[in-house]
Amino acid sequence: MEAVSFEYKAYKPRPFTKEERPYTTILFGGLTFKHERLITGALENMGYKAKPLPNIERIDLDIGKEYIDVGACCPTTFTAGNLARTLMDIEKKEGREAVRDRYVFVTIGACGPCRFGQYHESYERVLEGLNLRDFRLFLLDLLQLEQSVEGGGLEISMPLTLGLVYAMFMGDLITDMEYATRPYEVKKGQTDQVVKDSVEVLYEKLKKRPIVGKKLGNFLWHIFTDYFVDALKEVKKLWDEIEVDRLQPKAKVKITGEFWLQTHEGDGNYNIKRWLEEQGAEVIPPPVAVWMDYLINMELFKLEDAKPFVKNYYLKKFAISFFAWLYRRTYDKLRKALNNIPNPLPSQRELKELARPYFYYRLTGGEGHMLIGKALYALKHKQAHMICELSPYGCLPNTMSVGAMAKVLADYPELLYAPIEIKGDSEVHAYSRCQMVLTEAKRRAKEEFEQALEKTGLSLEDIRDFEEKHPQLKRATYKVPNYGYAGTSANYVMHVAKLMGRLK
Amino acid sequence: MGFFDSLGMKVIFSSDTSEEQYRTYGKGRITMDSCFPVKALAGHIGELLHKDIDILFVPMIYSLPSFLRGHVMDTLCCTRVMMAPENIKAGFLKERDEFKERGIKYVSPFVPFGEPELLPKYLFESLKPAVEDLTYEEVVEAVREGFASLEEFDKSMREKSLEILRWCVKNNRPALLVLARPYHMDPGIGHEIDAELQLYGYPVLWYNYLPIDKWLLDWLGISLDISDVWTSSYSSNTNEIIWGAKFASRFPWITGVIRLSSYECGMDQPTFTPVQRIVESSGTLFFKFGELDETKPAGSVKIRVETIVYYLEKYSQDIIKKKLSRLREVPKELTL
Repeated sequence: MEAVSFEYKAYKPRPFTKEERPYTTILFGGLTFKHERLITGALENMGYKAKPLPNIERIDLDIGKEYIDVGACCPTTFTAGNLARTLMDIEKKEGREAVRDRYVFVTIGACGPCRFGQYHESYERVLEGLNLRDFRLFLLDLLQLEQSVEGGGLEISMPLTLGLVYAMFMGDLITDMEYATRPYEVKKGQTDQVVKDSVEVLYEKLKKRPIVGKKLGNFLWHIFTDYFVDALKEVKKLWDEIEVDRLQPKAKVKITGEFWLQTHEGDGNYNIKRWLEEQGAEVIPPPVAVWMDYLINMELFKLEDAKPFVKNYYLKKFAISFFAWLYRRTYDKLRKALNNIPNPLPSQRELKELARPYFYYRLTGGEGHMLIGKALYALKHKQAHMICELSPYGCLPNTMSVGAMAKVLADYPELLYAPIEIKGDSEVHAYSRCQMVLTEAKRRAKEEFEQALEKTGLSLEDIRDFEEKHPQLKRATYKVPNYGYAGTSANYVMHVAKLMGRLK
Repeated sequence: MGFFDSLGMKVIFSSDTSEEQYRTYGKGRITMDSCFPVKALAGHIGELLHKDIDILFVPMIYSLPSFLRGHVMDTLCCTRVMMAPENIKAGFLKERDEFKERGIKYVSPFVPFGEPELLPKYLFESLKPAVEDLTYEEVVEAVREGFASLEEFDKSMREKSLEILRWCVKNNRPALLVLARPYHMDPGIGHEIDAELQLYGYPVLWYNYLPIDKWLLDWLGISLDISDVWTSSYSSNTNEIIWGAKFASRFPWITGVIRLSSYECGMDQPTFTPVQRIVESSGTLFFKFGELDETKPAGSVKIRVETIVYYLEKYSQDIIKKKLSRLREVPKELTL
């Protein structure tokens, strides 16, 4: 039968061949500069040229709106605008042919029907708008350990996947160190410098990572090696040099929300994490690793639901459970190298159970039930004084769990919860909404601190005197255990009291 | 209905969506900004609370039984629609348990039509606390009856669509195709825009009930595959809209497509350009009513409808000829 020819076809990139690899730069983006630098190291280690997109700027929102279909959520608009700005910049500096032949852009798709799974549709509008449909844009599947783009120019092999996983883990850990330290640093700016230095050390380590074995051999090497632990121990020495003053009661604010928005550090979320610190808060950043842990555990939960219909159920359950265990074990092993200052990953089963009365766990899309689970987890484990949930304007899944939070707040009126809708161009509104809840969180942090002083009978002078005799307490890498308070300063007072023999 | 009939349960539906229903029963229950189809759920739940019912059944429909299953990556429901019951429920619980107050059992099962083997399990677990003597076997049978009933309904609707298309062929009359979400059939959400057009004598078809007979698809040069025009085929309705656009772009007597989209629809947003381009690639007329919300924009709808009718009258015969020229002879099955 003769085929009927119609003009419209979905975008299909030209192949990216192995031969093109030496002179073709892989562009990517969407995470913090720390994660992106480490991912660059992992890619260079495998022989690729790689470059992250520049950090998101306010202008990307305007550029994005110009090219993509109306009504997009702000992460889509920002990231599409960022890609457009990058391509225009390359074209200006290196010419149109360079854009076409010497660069490719790689992005991931996930999240099913949510826009995160359809970002590339918006990126394609950018390419059309710039008349660059011959630029190559590749979409990878987040859940495939091994895959390849057409032409084999980019092959996601076991060594590369595991390199990227370690890059993600270490990016998370340095981010945790950063946010736990900066609010208390004595010498302003020292933390930022150490973050940069740490990232460079880890970048070099990733770039020089030995490639041992191919599949199973490589997998086993990554499980048993101390290569990354040693790298983090080296990094820890840099953090040892930072002196902190933990006798400053600060509201601890846990950031949750839509994946891109909560991870991002920049104009895309009004730089809200820095702003919170400026307002006297200590921020708990969201690790990328939690989301991957969620995806792994969802496979387990789905399997458990389908038990009567699954062949070799116990074998499959063991395999996924073992993989999930290995994932957390690796993360914990790396945390330990930094004296456990970075936060542990929350139990996914506990998050699911906490959220259960309010949000069914199989309703996947975005963070699913996790936003409710995380808020309740933080409350139950005295992890934070306040939750700041960053929701993109128009976000499909986030708006639904924000709505369900109405019942959570009715059941837990003590939970301080600030859902902030981010449009990208209304920061005063967002700050002001956050400020309202932050004021109460700060009051609670101060109250806890005073309670701890009263309970222990210590004065600030007593603690300062003790610190002088035990200077290791003032190191950023000194681990302060949790004594049932959310605030760092209150727990610190209790800890000093214990060391002084004041606590029974 | 097949499912509930099998269980011997009497079903009472809420009325069609309306601004009045939402204002009377739904306002104050919404705790976030959303599209109207989600917000409207509060009005429906609120209205049903005032009826003589024992169980309020609000399914969380995760995936749908699409005719494109097997040809696409998935057939998931809209993220918001599937999650909406959890969201809206909170509005009826945050101050006091209004379901309990009225002696109504709130039943909200997880419904994955895409995983039919799991359907009885989720439905049984959810219904059992409300219906004490219910057995799992009864639910299994009810699910089977439900699917049979759905299949029969789908078949009759596709036959009806084919009948209309045959009438268009026989009389050489143009028809319109609506590309929207299924909830736009609700007069309070779709604002009866399709009915306004029908008043001018144009048959209006809906994409989700188009005939899918092999002889017809072969003639049009399409299959149930949409990967040539849409690669992220996760969403059931999106996939069907895209497929409907392909059908419309090829079927000669569909000379105009009406796209309906609700305010803030994140499912529709990435599809705006592809759908329009697919439809227009063959010269078929494309009209969009976007940002639909709770208030019916009656005046502007009237003006738009008049404009659409003008274009249809002026260009339909040319479009039919042009599209026919790209196809082989009209199959005999269409001229019956």
